Amino acid sequence: MADRARFERLLLPHLDAAYGLARWLLRDDALAEDAVQEAFLRAWRFLGSLRGEDGKPWLLKIVRNACFELMHRERLAAGRTDLDDARVDDDGAQVGTALVLPLDPLAAAIEHADHAAVRGALRALPAVYREALVLRELQGCSYKQIAAITGVPIGTVMSRLSRARRALQWQLAERMRADAARR
Amino acid sequence: MNCARIAPLLDAHLDGELPAATVQQVEEHLRACARCRASVQRLRALRQLLQEAARDTAAPPALRQRLLTALESPVPAPPPARRLWLAAAPGLAALALASYLLFARTASTGTTTPADRFVYHVASSAHAAAVLRTLKNHLDATPSIRVVVVAHNDGIDFLLRGARDDTGAPFALAVHELRQRGVDFRVCGNTLTRRRLPAEAVLPEAALVPSGIAEIS
Repeated sequence: MADRARFERLLLPHLDAAYGLARWLLRDDALAEDAVQEAFLRAWRFLGSLRGEDGKPWLLKIVRNACFELMHRERLAAGRTDLDDARVDDDGAQVGTALVLPLDPLAAAIEHADHAAVRGALRALPAVYREALVLRELQGCSYKQIAAITGVPIGTVMSRLSRARRALQWQLAERMRADAARR
Repeated sequence: MNCARIAPLLDAHLDGELPAATVQQVEEHLRACARCRASVQRLRALRQLLQEAARDTAAPPALRQRLLTALESPVPAPPPARRLWLAAAPGLAALALASYLLFARTASTGTTTPADRFVYHVASSAHAAAVLRTLKNHLDATPSIRVVVVAHNDGIDFLLRGARDDTGAPFALAVHELRQRGVDFRVCGNTLTRRRLPAEAVLPEAALVPSGIAEIS
């Protein structure tokens, strides 16, 4: 069937990318599998609406949406009403993250960070920051693609990415400071 | 010095998203500014760190297998009632609301048929105006669908009497028009109770239901 062939050519190659994005968004392997399964089923059903030969951004958008739905459902099930793990103010100043970061501790934090620290720092970021970083740095998506996947204007992508990077550096520096204090 | 102007561009510069003319300006500034150079260096180091530490693990083989098996079925199994679907029908614009807006599809066949029932779940009024626009587009594209809008938590705000959008227009007008087209609006009774609002605070177009969550089950 032509559809099946198209599916295998345009979507299946991005299974690992889909799973990676889902894992970072949901921070849970089992939920990530659920989300990916749901996403691929939808992708299969709506394959007709994919135009062109690049299935990755289209698929990642479906994955991303499935993840946020799952997040929402899990939160509702847990009886919580907040929709995101941390407030992110896209238009105004950053909330909860220092705007001006002293340079030396940052450089040191980056230089000395181990992989576990980086993963922990990434996990700790608000979902929309995590998503921006994963799509840009791990999936290599362009700003335009990220805008399409996340459904926000390019300007918002740019500001989120910039803040996400600063937030990550801040997280790393904080962890390093906390570690040093413990010793 | 142009730090104030250049510094915000550094991320886009690193990401190769600046137009050529701007790239030149940025590089010219970087040649002269140690602080901005250090910023770029940190961004590069951060990228490398991320890519090394957070390298994607491959999807488990079992997952891949399950997907392929699911495709084999001639008619995809209908989603259980609680499953939430995002309908990617043509004509729907700006599903930027996805975090706040959930579609639940309760069709029992595997394809979109005109009799499909869609449930729009609204949990935040931040995008209420956009939700209503999207809904209108959806109806324009497929007039025969049946739509229920279920609002709970902050999402009920646009269904309260006197509610206006940020251009000052009353939501009641758009809600009334959609009601005329057969859209059902439902407000979660639990939310009203929790926010100590009387039933009279809600627009007459909207019905009260005991629990918004149960509605989408």
